[in-house]
Amino acid sequence: MNHSHSKYLSNFKNWAEQKRFLDFTEKDVEFLKKLHPFAIEYADSFVDQLYEHLLQFPDTKRFLSDEKTLNRLKLAQKAYFMDLTSGEYGEEYYQSRIKVGIAHQRIGLPPRVYMSTYCYYMQLIIPKIYGNPMFDVETANGVFLALHKIINLDQELAISSYIHAIDEVISRQTEEILEMSTPVIQIWDGVVAAPIIGMLDSGRTQQFMERLLEAIVETNSPVALIDITGVPQIDTATAQHLIDTINAVKLLGSQVIITGVRPVIAQTLVHLGIDLSGIITRPTMASGLKVALDKLNIKVMDNPRA
Amino acid sequence: MDGENNLSVIKLKNILLVTVPDDPGDDIIQELQTKVLHAIEKYQSKGLILDISSVNILDSFFARTISETTQMVALMGGQTVIAGMQPSVAITATELGLHLGKAISTLDVDRALDIFTDNFKLV
Repeated sequence: MNHSHSKYLSNFKNWAEQKRFLDFTEKDVEFLKKLHPFAIEYADSFVDQLYEHLLQFPDTKRFLSDEKTLNRLKLAQKAYFMDLTSGEYGEEYYQSRIKVGIAHQRIGLPPRVYMSTYCYYMQLIIPKIYGNPMFDVETANGVFLALHKIINLDQELAISSYIHAIDEVISRQTEEILEMSTPVIQIWDGVVAAPIIGMLDSGRTQQFMERLLEAIVETNSPVALIDITGVPQIDTATAQHLIDTINAVKLLGSQVIITGVRPVIAQTLVHLGIDLSGIITRPTMASGLKVALDKLNIKVMDNPRA
Repeated sequence: MDGENNLSVIKLKNILLVTVPDDPGDDIIQELQTKVLHAIEKYQSKGLILDISSVNILDSFFARTISETTQMVALMGGQTVIAGMQPSVAITATELGLHLGKAISTLDVDRALDIFTDNFKLV
């Protein structure tokens, strides 16, 4: 994969910028540290309550299939509570948040479950903040806001890495589709056929041209059929790409026959004023093959004994 | 100038065959043109086959000289056939918008000979 640099995934430097954007300062760090004793005291109970809650819904229950997984996740959650209030929000913290997002995407946990988990925790945490006799209202507000900020930062990282992971899958699939969608097949001695599926953009044209020309030389074929049955619609750019390909084939000493010109394509070509008059075009690959065989002086006959 | 670059023009019956070396310099291309035209005059050849299968790079000077040579050969009563162009060369030529004028292309020298012996319909 050479798509490691996604537009969605921030780097650590950007994250520092994001902290500034949220106005996450040393003051907030101090407020969060005040929560640390609570995290130590209540983490077990909060985490147990959360998983009890998650187990009530079939949608989330399926991720907690066995006792081992459940215990591992509970431990991870408790560790998270410790991290969240540790006062250390450097690179290590950043990396661990990114990993969480990628792991969630990999197991297929929907982002909504991840997001609503925070909401559930807040329900449990808020009474502890405001019900604490050691905090005056101002401190309680400060603690609450600091917690809100760090959670926002965490969520942004996890969601970005979610999207990044999906983005990578899409890029890989796009490449695979590109590979698959331009096969070149030898269909007769001296005839190759290349069905185009989908739109022909400039990136694909380059690849398509290379494959077609190489196949023509390799099989020593004087005729190449380019079938455009699978091209949904044609525009001037696509037509130009086709014409370029035809010219390159001509330079090699081979000839192109365009097949699969459907009525809608014929209409569009005329309306756009694209001139293909120097090029042999046929409505079906079968009729194109007949032209090709004729050019090669090959006669196909019915077997008279059959 | 004669023979300086080991460029040989081979006469085959009424056709001339030239194998263009890999990465020909401008002087070689110029020499090729002169040699070919003199040979056509000498042998009254009907055709010229340029085998460019070893050429990996086609620049605009080369393309223009081929196009012009084709015209000159035509003026002297001959048809030029370019044989064995590499796919990468064809792609570059298309991208740069280079044209070979009235020259006909064929996949290899065999097929070029077929054109002159008239048993090949693809012209």
